Amino acid sequence: MNDAPTVFLIDDDQAVRDAVGLLLRTDGLAVETFTSAASFLESGAAERAGCLVLDVRMPGMSGLDLQQQLRARGHRTPVIFMTGHGDVPMAIRAMKGGAFDFIEKPFQGKTLLERIHAALKLDTCERHRRTQRADAAARMAQLSPREREVLERIALGRYNKTIAAELGISVSTVEIHRKRVMEKLQAESLSDLIRTLALANDAE
Amino acid sequence: MAMSNSAMSKAPLFPPATAPTPRLRSCMERLWWRLIQPAPASLLYVTVSLLWLLGEDLLAWANDIRQPAILDLLRVALAIAVSGGLLYWLLRTHADAIARARFAQRQVEDRLRQSLEAMEAQAAERAAERLESQQALELLNAARLQVETALGDSEERFRQLAEHIREVFWVWGVTEQRLLYISPVYEDLWGRPAQHLLERPLDWIDAVHPDDRPRIYAAHFDKSASGMDEEYRIIRPDGTVRWIWDRGFPMHDEYGHVHRVVGLAEDITTRKLAEDQLRRQQTELAKTSRLSLAVELASNLAHDLNQPLAAIVAYTQACLGLLRQDKADPRELTGTLEEVVNQGLRAGSIIRHLRELVQKNPTASQSTLDLNTLIHRVIHYAQLELRQASVTLKLELMDQLPAVLADDLQIQLVVLYLARNAIEAMHESNDGPRLLTLRTTLQDKNTALVTVQDTGPGLSKEAACRLFQPFFSTKPGGMGLGLSVSRSIVESQGGKLWATPHADRGISFHFTLPLYINPFHPSFSPPHA
Repeated sequence: MNDAPTVFLIDDDQAVRDAVGLLLRTDGLAVETFTSAASFLESGAAERAGCLVLDVRMPGMSGLDLQQQLRARGHRTPVIFMTGHGDVPMAIRAMKGGAFDFIEKPFQGKTLLERIHAALKLDTCERHRRTQRADAAARMAQLSPREREVLERIALGRYNKTIAAELGISVSTVEIHRKRVMEKLQAESLSDLIRTLALANDAE
Repeated sequence: MAMSNSAMSKAPLFPPATAPTPRLRSCMERLWWRLIQPAPASLLYVTVSLLWLLGEDLLAWANDIRQPAILDLLRVALAIAVSGGLLYWLLRTHADAIARARFAQRQVEDRLRQSLEAMEAQAAERAAERLESQQALELLNAARLQVETALGDSEERFRQLAEHIREVFWVWGVTEQRLLYISPVYEDLWGRPAQHLLERPLDWIDAVHPDDRPRIYAAHFDKSASGMDEEYRIIRPDGTVRWIWDRGFPMHDEYGHVHRVVGLAEDITTRKLAEDQLRRQQTELAKTSRLSLAVELASNLAHDLNQPLAAIVAYTQACLGLLRQDKADPRELTGTLEEVVNQGLRAGSIIRHLRELVQKNPTASQSTLDLNTLIHRVIHYAQLELRQASVTLKLELMDQLPAVLADDLQIQLVVLYLARNAIEAMHESNDGPRLLTLRTTLQDKNTALVTVQDTGPGLSKEAACRLFQPFFSTKPGGMGLGLSVSRSIVESQGGKLWATPHADRGISFHFTLPLYINPFHPSFSPPHA
């Protein structure tokens, strides 16, 4: 699998596909073109890093339909819509569906490239954050129920003494649990601990 | 009931006669039946008879014996017997006579009674009859009174009706050649005194709008033959215009001649204005919807046009990028620039289509039109939808279809609308084949027929009834104007638009248009020849 972020260009019009593809490649971007939304879904490219540049009106599945399908499948790849003749309701629907942007043909190459770069950056960040979240969640999964209880109370800013009293255990036992939690979550400080907890909660 | 009761309670008209009983007859009867009739009478009779038979012998015997005393005794006895017999006979005869008289009297009495009874019955009957006729008369009187009242009422009602209804009621005398009656509303409605009509019977026509006047003159002179039913405008003295609906009905006399024409003239200004407004609104609506169809068409064209433009811009900017980076490979640039030219040409051809669509018909005007070419052109615009909905298109166009006379743009819009409608219908249905058939043929020698047939889900009965009503739509976002507007377009071009649902699947829309008939063409024949 190619890990470099790729622009997935989907348009039923061969000339547009060709021209926009050339424009993007000239700028040094990795581009893959598809003639229809269905062929894109079949290729499995939706899993990969990058962004989508998509015509709204296409035979078969329209751009808006594809966007819905991707959301339904849990893909967060940013989508930039291109439209030959857009109207306001169509744009609203696209943006509400979580589109990254909506641009009208013909467009300035610069505009499209700017939007694409922004989208790719967003995708990279998103993917990074998702990885972090998954990581934090995995580490959290190692905690025992008691350790989780202790962690929750630490996060609420309670003292060891209070936690011991609440859970009906000795202060030294609380300290042992705390040390274990720090080890399992690979946290060096209290703030690390809290960040990991927050990421894991986000992942949930 | 009352009548029969009173008849029965009435006493007989004549009192029953009592039978006369003469005293003498009563005595004789009593004498006979009490004294003579019983046994002594029979004995006496036998004795007398014997004496009568033996009298001579006894006399002879008495003479023989010469006993004067016995002879005398015998003579006395004989005399007694003779007188007794005589008396008996007399009494008997008299009693018979009495009996006969009594019988006769009874008979007479019976007959008298019968006749009396008959008379009484007759009298009662006659009384009943009289009563009946009396009552009938009373009824008749009542009825007459009622009729008179009713007549009075109806006259009154007629008068009220004639004088109070909004309509002007008029009676025209054919022989008199003048108005025999006109209700007073005339003066209010026309704003002219009815008096003028006496001097000039046609004074009312002077008020008729000059545009309508010749027609109304003609109608007025025809009305005694065929009646009249005309709508016209009148101008009142204050300059306001009123719409009048005037109807006249010829009335025949006993010889079958029309002697009168009666009529009603009604003020229909409000209705007319409402109709005008409705028509204006419909026209406006049709115009708006036609416009919205055109906008949709333009939107399609804009999309089509922006595709090559987007390609041109992207190609050119890619070339510029390469040139700026000094990485330009002339061969690659040549290929790209050739693509730019192609896309420019593509855009040009789309513009040409647009120009054909718009400039060819700057105003809605009829021209000769080849429906097959038109359908090909329209299908070009629907290509995208056809592909999107995965619909197969089947064209069954009649070879050498004669030209029709219609407005090009408007008919294009109708065909496009019907095709798009069919595509949308099939797009919604998930099963079955998706086939759009466009067919052209001749309905008759003067009419072309276009059919747009789909294999969509068809229509419910309710939907089929309301299909052509404005604002009726089965589509979620549909305005419901397309079909009603299409119909109004086709009808404005002298054609008809209708739908026939199919038993199994889908629906067919048909419309007709009149063929263009070239009067100079050798095959020309007048439409109704």
